[in-house]
Amino acid sequence: MINGSAHRLNKRALVAAIGVIAWFLLITGRLVELQLFRHHELKNEAADQNRYLREIWPPRGTITDCQGTILARSLPFPSVFLTRESQEKKEAVLSKLAELETFLPLSPRDKQRIKNRLENGDRFIWIKRKISWELAEKVKKAQIPGIFLQTESKRFYPFGPHLAHVLGGVDIDDQGLSGLEYKYNDLLQGKKGRVLVRRDALKRKYDLEVLEPTLPGKDLILTIDSRIQYIAEKELEEAVLAHQASWGTVVVSRPATGEVLAMASYPDYDPNEFPPADPLAQVNRAIQENFEPGSAFKIVTAAAALEFHPASLSKVYDCSSGYIALGGLSVRDHKRFSLLSFPEVFIHSSNVGTIQVALEIGQENLFSMIKKFRFGEKTGIDLPAEEAGILRPTRYWTIHTLPHIAIGYEISVTALQLLQAMNVIANRGWLVPPRVVQATVGPDGLETIPSAPPVRLLPKETAETLINLIFSKVVEEGTGTEAALSGYPAAGKTGTAQKFDPLQRAYSSFRHRAIFVGFVPSDKPAVSIVVVIDEPKAGKYYGGDVAAPVFREIARRVLLYSGETPREEPKKWVLARTNPGLKNQERP
Amino acid sequence: MVKKKIPKVELLFIAISLCFGLACLTFYIWYQTEIIRLGLEIRRAEETINKLETEIKSLEAVKASLLSLERVEKIARQALNLTEPQPAQLIYEEFIPELKR
Repeated sequence: MINGSAHRLNKRALVAAIGVIAWFLLITGRLVELQLFRHHELKNEAADQNRYLREIWPPRGTITDCQGTILARSLPFPSVFLTRESQEKKEAVLSKLAELETFLPLSPRDKQRIKNRLENGDRFIWIKRKISWELAEKVKKAQIPGIFLQTESKRFYPFGPHLAHVLGGVDIDDQGLSGLEYKYNDLLQGKKGRVLVRRDALKRKYDLEVLEPTLPGKDLILTIDSRIQYIAEKELEEAVLAHQASWGTVVVSRPATGEVLAMASYPDYDPNEFPPADPLAQVNRAIQENFEPGSAFKIVTAAAALEFHPASLSKVYDCSSGYIALGGLSVRDHKRFSLLSFPEVFIHSSNVGTIQVALEIGQENLFSMIKKFRFGEKTGIDLPAEEAGILRPTRYWTIHTLPHIAIGYEISVTALQLLQAMNVIANRGWLVPPRVVQATVGPDGLETIPSAPPVRLLPKETAETLINLIFSKVVEEGTGTEAALSGYPAAGKTGTAQKFDPLQRAYSSFRHRAIFVGFVPSDKPAVSIVVVIDEPKAGKYYGGDVAAPVFREIARRVLLYSGETPREEPKKWVLARTNPGLKNQERP
Repeated sequence: MVKKKIPKVELLFIAISLCFGLACLTFYIWYQTEIIRLGLEIRRAEETINKLETEIKSLEAVKASLLSLERVEKIARQALNLTEPQPAQLIYEEFIPELKR
C-alpha cells in the first residue's frame, strides 16, 4: 500500500518536474528569442515610444531691396491633414470631410484629389495647405477625429504684384519656380537638418538632440530700389493702358555700376497667387522677350560709323527722295528730309541716311560692332531664363541684311541688351554688366557679390562724340523731344519698329513697337532707362510719342527722389503746397 | 531552536547601507526627474522664443505691406487730398542765395 502510494507520488512529482522544466525551458526560449534574436527590433520599438527623428527645414531667406524693405519673406501658415485608421471606411472619412467643408471651402479639384488618395488606401492625406489662421482656429475648435493641423512655411510678398517678375514665385513646398526665387533657390532655402526628439510618458518633448545641424537660408539684398520700382511700374502701367498696348517693359539702371534699380513688366501678376492664371503675365519682358529694336539700334550703327569710317562725320547724305531701293526692296523714312549731315541722320532717325552710312561701314565692321556691344548673347544678369536675342552670323546674311540690321531689323534684342548698349555710351565707352543682387546675408554676416569688372568697348572720344553730337540732340531737337526734362540734360534714342506679321509674311503697317532708351543727366549720368511699349493702339505709335514721355516722367521722379540737383536754376520760385486747399504762394 | 543574535554593529551597518541605498535611489530618481523637468522648461522657453521670433517676422512683413507705396499714395491722394508738386513748386537749396552762403 505504502509502496503503491509512493510510486504514484513519484510519478506525480515526475510529471510536475517535467512541467516545471518545460515551463522553464519555454520561458528561457522566449527570453532568448526576445533578448537575442529580436533584441534590436524590440529595442527600437521601445525607443520609438519616447523618441522620434524629425527633419527640420530652416526658414527660407528673406529678399530685401537696397534700402532694406522686405520684398519676400517666409511666414508660418497652418495646413490641414487627415489620418485614417486602418479599418476606417471611406464613407466615414468622407462624412468627416463634409463636416469640415461647412467652414473650410474645398475646390472640386481638392475633393477629387482627396477621393483618389482615399481609394489608393493612403492613410495620410493633405486636405488643404497653408490656410489662414482664422480658418485654422475653426478647424481646431471643430475637433473632428482624425483631422489635424500642422504649421508650415509660406512665402509672403507684402507688396503683391510689385517687382513680381524679378522675384518670381515658389511652389506649395516653397521651392523657387521662377525669378530670383528660382535662381537663388539653393542659397535661399539653406540645408535641412535632423534632430532626435525625446518625449516623456505624457508625450511632451523634453530634449532635442541635433544629429545634423540645419544651414539657414541666406537673405538676398537687391540692387533694386522699391521706390524707383514703384515709379517705373506706375508710369509703365499708365502708358500701357493709355495707349491700349499689348505689353510694356521698363528697366532703370545706374550706368556706372550696372545696378538695376527697377525692372518692370506689364501685365503683371501677384506672386502670392503663384502660378498666375495667365501664363503670359509671368513673362519678364525686359529679359525674356526678343524683338526687333527698329531705330533704337542705330546707336550701334552710329558707333560703328565713328569707329570704322570716321570720314562719315563730315559727310552729308542725300535723303531727299524719302526712300532707298535695295535689290527689289525699298526702305522709307517716316518723313521726307533733304540733305542731312551725319549727326542729323541719327538725330532725325532717317532710315535712308542710316543705310547709306551702313553701306560705307560694311557688313564685317557692322557685325563686329554688334558683337562688341554683346548683342546675340546674354547680358549675364543674375536672373533665370534670359534670352540672348537673335543675331545671325554674316555667312547667312543676304543683300538686305546689312541695311536692315543698320536700322534695327533682321536682328532681335532684349530691352536689357538695349539698355546695356546705351550704358556703354553713358559710361564713355565702358561696359559694366547689369545685375540685380548686390549682397547676401548669412550666419557669417554680409557677403557682397562683386560686380563683373568693366570692359572698355569704345574710346572715350567716340562715346562723347555720340553723346554730344547725336544722342543729346535727339532729345533737344530730334525725334525724342518728348523725353526732355526741365533742368536736366538728357540723351537717348527713339525707336519705332514695325512688327512682322507671320500671316501676311510681311511687316505690318498697323502694328508697331515704341522704344526709347536714354540716360540723364547726359554730362554725368545718374540713371539710364529703357522703355518698350508693344502695339500701342490708341493712335500714337512712334517711340518719340509713346515711350519718350514715359522715360521723361520716370527720370523726373527718380532724379527728384535721388536728390539730383537740376543743372540750371528754375526761373519761377513757388513754394510747395504744405496744406491741402492752401493756394500756392509765389516767392518774391 | 536557538535564535541567533545579530550584533548591533552589523545591524547598524545594514541600516546605514539600506539608508545609503535608498538615498542613492532617491537621488537618482530626483536627478532623472529634474533632467526631464528642466528639459521641458527649456523646450517651452525655446518654443516661446521661436514663437516670438516668428511673430516679429510676421509683424515686420505686415508693417512692410502697410507701408506699401501704393497704399501710401492712395491715402495721400484720397484721404489727405495731397497732390504731387509740379516742377515749378520745388525749391532746391542749391539755388537759394541765402543758403548758398
